[in-house]
Amino acid sequence: MLTIDRLTKRRGSALILSDVTFQARPGRVTGFLGPNGAGKSSTLRILLGLDRPTSGTALVDGVPFERLPDPLRTVGAVLDGSGAHRARTGRAHLSWVAAAAGIPRRRVDEVLDEVDLTGAARKRVGSYSLGMGRRLGLAAALLGDPAALVLDEPVNGLDPEGIRWMRRFLRERAEAGHTVLLSSHLMGELAEVVDDVVIINGGRVVEQGTLAEVTGAHRTLEDAFFALTTGARGGAR
Amino acid sequence: MSAYSGELRKLTSLPSVWAAFAVGIAVPAVVGVLSAVSTSAAIANGTKPEAGPDLGYQELAFGVAGAIILGVVAASSEYFTEGESAGSGRQITTSLTAVPSRTRFLLAKVAALTTAVVLMSAIATGITLSCVQAVVGDHAHALDGAAATRVPGVVLYWVLTALLAFGITLLTRNGVVPLAVLVLNTSVVTVTFLLSKVTPLAVYFPDLAGMRMFLTEVRVPVELSPITGGVVMAVWVVLLLACGFTAFTRRDA
Repeated sequence: MLTIDRLTKRRGSALILSDVTFQARPGRVTGFLGPNGAGKSSTLRILLGLDRPTSGTALVDGVPFERLPDPLRTVGAVLDGSGAHRARTGRAHLSWVAAAAGIPRRRVDEVLDEVDLTGAARKRVGSYSLGMGRRLGLAAALLGDPAALVLDEPVNGLDPEGIRWMRRFLRERAEAGHTVLLSSHLMGELAEVVDDVVIINGGRVVEQGTLAEVTGAHRTLEDAFFALTTGARGGAR
Repeated sequence: MSAYSGELRKLTSLPSVWAAFAVGIAVPAVVGVLSAVSTSAAIANGTKPEAGPDLGYQELAFGVAGAIILGVVAASSEYFTEGESAGSGRQITTSLTAVPSRTRFLLAKVAALTTAVVLMSAIATGITLSCVQAVVGDHAHALDGAAATRVPGVVLYWVLTALLAFGITLLTRNGVVPLAVLVLNTSVVTVTFLLSKVTPLAVYFPDLAGMRMFLTEVRVPVELSPITGGVVMAVWVVLLLACGFTAFTRRDA
């Protein structure tokens, strides 16, 4: 269970997040949706202990990420790009992550196979396509077979086949009882994957609930999203 | 312990680290052989009675460039951006999700960096001093009795220099400026040495002070003992690391 509670973040005079509160529950895919610059990445970075909030808390099973005894076995995360240095090979990247987290080496081959990168494992990350880099990031997130996954824009840069693969992967993960929290600004790609929806705009949560609740009277989630994030509410930034 | 082995693995799998080892080992050995050959010629034709006390050690003071590269890269590689077409990711996000405690992360990094630099400087010192001894023979001071304290001095100087470079790069988050400034200062123009012509206080710069641990002939206005020199340099390193650590633990990653 991921619990975001009254999160506020200021950077200088800019208000990045204001009183953001929501939860991501086990066995469900939670879609954290909003236009670019709405505060999605900032929220996820605070949840992962990378950025500090001005006030509020973000907890993983009731504990701040920084104090988790075994972080990689609890939460797997993919933020921007691959999260790997481009001069290393994909395998070398996963090897150091496994070593740093005390995860056995054999998991490296298993996750490479899981994301279909075995063939490119000995190539440098700098030669990877955007989609391959994203899959490498996902492989690192899966090393500890974590109970929760946190993914920032997971379908960005993927080709249609990659998007299909990602949808199926996320559904399987949730159906196995895991928590999945993903952010996206692409509604169409994800509407059929998510169970719960949180919509953020301009640093504030403007709507949250199950997919059916948020879609409400609108024809699609996308229509509901645009109704909530444009017009009177002023759009992004 | 696992954080340390992760950091060691990071170092061994980065091509720029191997380049740093090549520089640190080859530069002093090659320059050492060249000066040993000319010294030995000078002894043969009678212009010099014997080799200077710092032959070999002087060259190891240049080779510290390898340790500087290592110290800079250990920090800058975390912030190296993948490029927009690859999603603008940085390794630091992966590092801190694997080892979320920033203190533990930095201590593991310092330990791994120290391990690598001890290894690099021990190899460089062994090769350089043996080469000088082999070329100059009995006239050399490279491996005489004083070597027992001078060789650890070289290793310590390299380790402290690498930690200094690491601390500065934690503050800048980018390797270009610290690398250029520190490498130029040890090789092309030793700004700190030139400043010692202007003010005697310049002998307390970390590089000039630290060199006293293994060099006997440094033409500066104030003489420091090897121990004083080492302590002065260590104080610089502790202060800069403290600044780097504070910035790193307080800032958003």
